[in-house]
Amino acid sequence: MAGVVVKGRFPRRRLFRIVATNTFRYLFRGAARNWARNIGSTAPALGSMTLLLVMTGLVGITAFALHNLERVETAQASLLHVYIRDDAAPVEVDWLRDRLQNDPRVASVSYTSKSQALARAQRMPGLPELADATESNPFPASLDVQLKSIDDVAGIDAMARDDGAVDPLYPTSYDRGAYRRIQAVLFGTAVAGFALLSMLGFVAVTVTINSIKAAIHARRDEISIMQLVGAPRWMVRGPFVVEGAITGGLAGMAAGLVTFGLAMTGIAAGSGTFTQFAPGVTAAVAAVVGAMVFAAGLGLGSGSSLVSVRRHMEA
Amino acid sequence: MVRPIVELTGVTRAYGARLALDEVHLALQPGELTFLVGPSGAGKTTLLKLINREIRPTRGEVWVDGIAAHDLKVSRIAELRRRVGVVFQDYKLLPRLTALENVAFGLQVGDLRVSDEEARDRSLDALEAVGLGDRGDAFPDQLSGGQQQRVALARAVVAQPPLLIADEPTGNLDQDTAWEIMDLFADIAAWGTAVLIATHNVEIVTRLQRRVVTLVQGRLVRDQPAGQIGRMAWLALS
Repeated sequence: MAGVVVKGRFPRRRLFRIVATNTFRYLFRGAARNWARNIGSTAPALGSMTLLLVMTGLVGITAFALHNLERVETAQASLLHVYIRDDAAPVEVDWLRDRLQNDPRVASVSYTSKSQALARAQRMPGLPELADATESNPFPASLDVQLKSIDDVAGIDAMARDDGAVDPLYPTSYDRGAYRRIQAVLFGTAVAGFALLSMLGFVAVTVTINSIKAAIHARRDEISIMQLVGAPRWMVRGPFVVEGAITGGLAGMAAGLVTFGLAMTGIAAGSGTFTQFAPGVTAAVAAVVGAMVFAAGLGLGSGSSLVSVRRHMEA
Repeated sequence: MVRPIVELTGVTRAYGARLALDEVHLALQPGELTFLVGPSGAGKTTLLKLINREIRPTRGEVWVDGIAAHDLKVSRIAELRRRVGVVFQDYKLLPRLTALENVAFGLQVGDLRVSDEEARDRSLDALEAVGLGDRGDAFPDQLSGGQQQRVALARAVVAQPPLLIADEPTGNLDQDTAWEIMDLFADIAAWGTAVLIATHNVEIVTRLQRRVVTLVQGRLVRDQPAGQIGRMAWLALS
């Protein structure tokens, strides 16, 4: 009777479809079923990972905006506005302009009239109301001096501020140390963001590792039987890694949508102000960051599971 | 001379300072049913674990169907395990799978090339061979101990391994059921599978008159060929 079993014909159908079906069943369908069954122990990992990824997305968008802001500020810092007295004669202005243009440290000089300064101010958030509040035009004409190097701003300022055509009360836009203060603020923000993300990342990875450890413990009999009947290692470990990827993928999807939604809300709510404080952040950028958050979730979930499986499976 | 399915040469296994096995030499031929006897702590389970590469020997060589188990990388253990069917005292069936699914699970996770249809057919054959052809849809908790052990036996042989090892397979069964299980082991061996059974069941060992290997305190003290089984030497020592 046993001969039917131990000596029976054992057809070897090496069909790709059969292998794919079995792989899908044991690796993916089994993992999804077990994930759903263990949702209670997975929930903390899902929650902490979603929180981490939302923070990561927001920090990512902020970092992108700060990077653009730094570029804008750097460009602006090497642009010196020399404000002209309202009653300055045109010949005085021309003489000053020639002096500046002939200086080897200067890249270019352009003239902005009072009406052009007013028009520019009216395009800035918050300033139209201020401009409309007074009957006369409070904005002075200026010579806008683009310098070749940011280090020469102080020298040109010293040269121009005592000129007869220059407004004695507000001679130039030069603010000593402003650029360095901006850099210090950006650096501090980056360090704080990195520290926060590191802490949240540690929590999320630890919680995920422990949830997979609990899943391994709950299915130790099944694992033991799989190992005893000769299941390959990847097949024993794979479902747990897929489970982690499901957790990370769902967390990443939720966090990606939240990040995208918040960014779009910011863009839609105050486009002028938002553009001023978060330059370069558009719907396309928000979508890319959302997709990156999703990918980070997948990587974080499967990576944490792999670490847990390697650490706890043999035990 | 047929190549042995299992060959242990000078195998020693130590747990710290304690020797679980000490210089053991043993060879099992295809179709041979061998009982591994000895008092508790004699090293029977350790020997089975060495064959199935659950542990490595401290010294010596363990060859299983041409594979050097003593020197096997972790990544190749599955390859060896597919050549060894295993039966335990506590059956180790998955409670949420039916009898048929338990057997098919053992077949398919060991070989992804087996289709569902083929797995079902072969699992049904295996269940019929152990007398449970009509209980394939039953869950383990709906089966008696003897029936669960039959399912475990079907799972162990369904992939046609050349070697079957069993650790106290009748330990949880009454004597009548134990005899039924032993008849199945004998039937399997008759078809060419080497069978090694670690047991305390003196009556079965004595009456079946098969080869008996006796371990005492880690040493192989007696290797009695089939048909020459007298008094169990280890009984006097246990």
